[in-house]
Amino acid sequence: MSEDKKAVVDINRSAYDFKDIENEKDFYRLKEGLTEETVLKVSEEKNDPEWMREFRLKCLKLYNEMEMPDWGPSVEGLDMDKISSYVRHKEDMKGSWEDVPEDIKNTFERLGIPQAERESLAGVGAQYDSELVYHNIKDEVAAQGVIYTDIESALRTEYADMIKSHFMKLLTPTDHKMIALHGAVWSGGSFVYVPKGVKVDIPLQSYFRLNAAGAGQFEHTLIIVDEGADLHFIEGCSAPKYNVANLHSGAVELFVGKNARLRYSTIENWSKNMYNLNSKRAIVEENGVMEWVSGSFGSHTSYLYPMTILKGDHSKMEFTGITFAGKGQNLDTGAKVVHQGVGTTSVINSKSISKDGGIGTYRSSVVIQSTAKKAKASVSCDSLMLDSISRADTIPGMDIRTDDADVGHEAKIGRISDEAVFYLMSRGLSEEDAKAMIVSGFANPVSKELPLEYAVEMNNLIKLEMSGH
Amino acid sequence: MAEQSLLQVKDLSVAIDNELPILHKINLDIKPGETHVLMGPNGAGKSTLGYTLMGNPHYCVTEGNILFDGQDITDFSADKRAKAGMFLSFQNPYEVPGISLSSFIRNASHAQTGQPIKLLAYKKALKSAMEVLSMNEEYADRDLNVGFSGGEKKKAEILQLLMLNPKLAILDETDSGLDVDAVRTVSKGIMEYQKKKDGALLIITHSTKILESLHVDYTHVLVKGKLIHTGDASLVEEINKNGFERFVSDAE
Amino acid sequence: MNKNLDMRVNVLPALTYNFLHVNDSKIKEDGIGIELLNTPDAENVPSGVTVTRGVSYKEAGKLFEGFKERILVDAGVPGIPNGDTSARDDAQAVRTGMGIDIENLMLENGITSDVFTAEEGVKTTEPIIIRYNLNDGEGSLTSQVIHAKKDSEITVIMDYTSERSAGGFHGISTRLLAEEGAKINLIKTQTLGDGFIHFDDIGGACFKKGSINVVSLELGAKKSWTGCYINLCEDETEFISNQGYLVKDTHSLDINYVADQRGKKTNVLMNVKGVLMDKAQKTYRGTLDFKSGSSASAGDEQEDTLLLSPDVINRSMPVILCQEEDVEGRHGATIGQLGEDLLFYINSRGIDEQEAKRLMVKAKLDSVARLIPDPEIAEKVQYYISTIV
Repeated sequence: MSEDKKAVVDINRSAYDFKDIENEKDFYRLKEGLTEETVLKVSEEKNDPEWMREFRLKCLKLYNEMEMPDWGPSVEGLDMDKISSYVRHKEDMKGSWEDVPEDIKNTFERLGIPQAERESLAGVGAQYDSELVYHNIKDEVAAQGVIYTDIESALRTEYADMIKSHFMKLLTPTDHKMIALHGAVWSGGSFVYVPKGVKVDIPLQSYFRLNAAGAGQFEHTLIIVDEGADLHFIEGCSAPKYNVANLHSGAVELFVGKNARLRYSTIENWSKNMYNLNSKRAIVEENGVMEWVSGSFGSHTSYLYPMTILKGDHSKMEFTGITFAGKGQNLDTGAKVVHQGVGTTSVINSKSISKDGGIGTYRSSVVIQSTAKKAKASVSCDSLMLDSISRADTIPGMDIRTDDADVGHEAKIGRISDEAVFYLMSRGLSEEDAKAMIVSGFANPVSKELPLEYAVEMNNLIKLEMSGH
Repeated sequence: MAEQSLLQVKDLSVAIDNELPILHKINLDIKPGETHVLMGPNGAGKSTLGYTLMGNPHYCVTEGNILFDGQDITDFSADKRAKAGMFLSFQNPYEVPGISLSSFIRNASHAQTGQPIKLLAYKKALKSAMEVLSMNEEYADRDLNVGFSGGEKKKAEILQLLMLNPKLAILDETDSGLDVDAVRTVSKGIMEYQKKKDGALLIITHSTKILESLHVDYTHVLVKGKLIHTGDASLVEEINKNGFERFVSDAE
Repeated sequence: MNKNLDMRVNVLPALTYNFLHVNDSKIKEDGIGIELLNTPDAENVPSGVTVTRGVSYKEAGKLFEGFKERILVDAGVPGIPNGDTSARDDAQAVRTGMGIDIENLMLENGITSDVFTAEEGVKTTEPIIIRYNLNDGEGSLTSQVIHAKKDSEITVIMDYTSERSAGGFHGISTRLLAEEGAKINLIKTQTLGDGFIHFDDIGGACFKKGSINVVSLELGAKKSWTGCYINLCEDETEFISNQGYLVKDTHSLDINYVADQRGKKTNVLMNVKGVLMDKAQKTYRGTLDFKSGSSASAGDEQEDTLLLSPDVINRSMPVILCQEEDVEGRHGATIGQLGEDLLFYINSRGIDEQEAKRLMVKAKLDSVARLIPDPEIAEKVQYYISTIV
């Protein structure tokens, strides 16, 4: 009994849900709503170059012209007039941990970020509300020429042209309404450049924390992995729960060079009042490899479909993802891939779990263009229903325009069988533990792709969801 | 009764999902360390008895009760029975993707004993148990029963038996579908359990291969849901020669 | 009469990305001549089956409207999929795969239905045959209702054919009701000429232990649309579908099949096998919809597409919607060329690549053609396949 209690304490949601009451005088908060005035105010705060300010205004215009898609979860509860697009601490971003304001430092300490940095990361960026508060890269990694910084600072360096020629060229403002919104009010995020042939052995991590209520976070992550280079980038996110809607509309643009490899791992654990309308896209050159590992546990509503364009011949993409939709959640997630090059390969493995009235939708598209001779695509999606008040929907699409391609698709929907539970119980496990074990096993193909400490975090999140809190 | 019984089954009747009864008034008494054999033609209800003793929720006890180690366990769930010291080797072990055989057994022993498992000692014990069963070590890291051949699955069941140390092991058709060598290996594992742990056994089988190298105390014959005959080890021989016909006609 | 058609059909039960162009299909054709408005005489009508001819489309639909509460039984657990489109066809007497625009077309043009009723307990295995032999330039728009009363069984073959070179229009709507323990076998074979525009819309419902079995072969026509929506509203109902298709030249085929599973222990099997040649285009939508209350149900959808030219466009949309824990739903698709191993095996027996492909195409479609319960039509269809490949 005492052990059960301890187990629950270990995985208590308070690890993410705690709030630091933001002392109003310490924070600058842009007034709610999305107008030309607020966009210009963000631009002013960011000290944008001229082209960026024009770009923001163009994005706002597009945002106002476009509709939300008719196929996704409802976003009725999201009122842009009640969202502040920009919140920052009044102290400037600091490179050294000691200089980070005390209240923010406490938050990240509780999330275990500095400890993870010391133990297992090559560099860390930490964003609090709209601004990065901390960015650091290990000396030996920096010495290899790896750049890891915020975009705003990088715009004032020799990398300005590189950023200008890549920024929102992959995710363009005309793609959809949310990316146009992002373009208008983006703030924070990271720029990573890994030079030719450089292999970064341990991961870089960015952690995003949205602490303010009724605010939006619009960070932009731009990663360029040059020819033959290798990088693992980890993204973590969390927020305390409020009664008002929060919005996250980040953008991730990934450029994977010839013979390069990029792994992008995400553990998303936003609080359950979050609208997570996020966009991620990668383009992969010849022989390059893009790997996505994605765990979606938080948010009230999610639209999330990392897209990969396999442009170069023999480029590869692998997506491994899990989504756990619990009470009050509508998580619409999946992956998109476009095969353009000869001999390109994609593998999508998706798992979803629905419980306590949660709606989990797996949505994907596999497009094989006529140029993609000898392309191979395989999709496998498994859904687990834990009760009969939830939903598990599987909506995959395929568009194939060459005969010289090999496409396989498998989808299964089911539940935990009574026989399996009995088998495990016959070995001494309680019913709850038996079910949790089966669900962990179901999620194992995803957790085994994560670094150990994240796999542990993910298993804890699963236990937390399974314990039916 | 000179010695305290380990398992006592009293007038046990069983139905599946509340439909017609399959077992009728079964009585059985197993003392610590004894080996009992339950034989009978296909469809007699042998596996039903095994499942019922282990507490499969689909099998409902409509009458009678089950005493184990001095407690009435008739209403116990399967995990509680396992904790009390009962083990069932499944005829068709379930595949659990994502959990390795090794970590599964570790989880199970932890659940049963409540004690932390010392990793090194555990690995050593697992290794030696796998040696007894001539199991390739790599199976320890493979997902539980996933992609195992029929023989490997049965060995994995006996491996769990050796690692979990129950007081009573019910082996449901552990020999079915195995070749001669595999039967011999599995028997070795069962003998190890018998000797070293002084474990009691209820061996459910409809063939006699697995019994050749084991010491048998009692043999029971189950026909059409009724235990109609109990004898000693020699009964196995007789059934081996003459089959079940005599008993089947008795049951009419 | 001369008609301009402008319809939105085959709407996906749950919408997805617009760039995939699979959410629906448009039938936009101007100056379509439609003269033939009556279902041809049925052959082989057995005793125990009555045929009522010329019933107005609306009147014929009342059979379903009278049972609407039974068909649309609701287990009461709220929740719809994201992008749900079910409300769109609410006004239909019984939902069909192609949807309300077909129903409106029938109503606007005063189309009548021939109603086939199998009386209680009457089981016939001999198929009723309805032959459409169309001439070049002809247009036909017809409708039927097949009603199998309690414990009856009825088998109907509809064969649409013309000269290979002929063109014209052929539209058809068939609605099905299988009452308790009844079984409807519906076989549709289409070998229309290369200039035909063709649509085939099916909607149906099964009551307790009722079953609907559809076999369809779409082999000809320039542009084809087929849709089928079966309501498995009560316990132990079943829907089995076997589709085969062959699309060549610049022809197109657009499919929307939906199994709406509401009863307990319902069973669905949807097999679709086909071949795309030349510059052909095909869109397949197949949906298993496990609604709340469909516990212990199973659904299996298997798609097997052989692509024989670099210029084909193949779109597949296999959807599983699920609001029930105790179900087994599955979908599998294999899309591509002939497997190299298989090709090698056939080659090793002395058969060249062209011939091997021919064999495999025939094998794929013949496996569906064999399900036609009339030897003459089966043979005709098999001959048709062999002349194309």
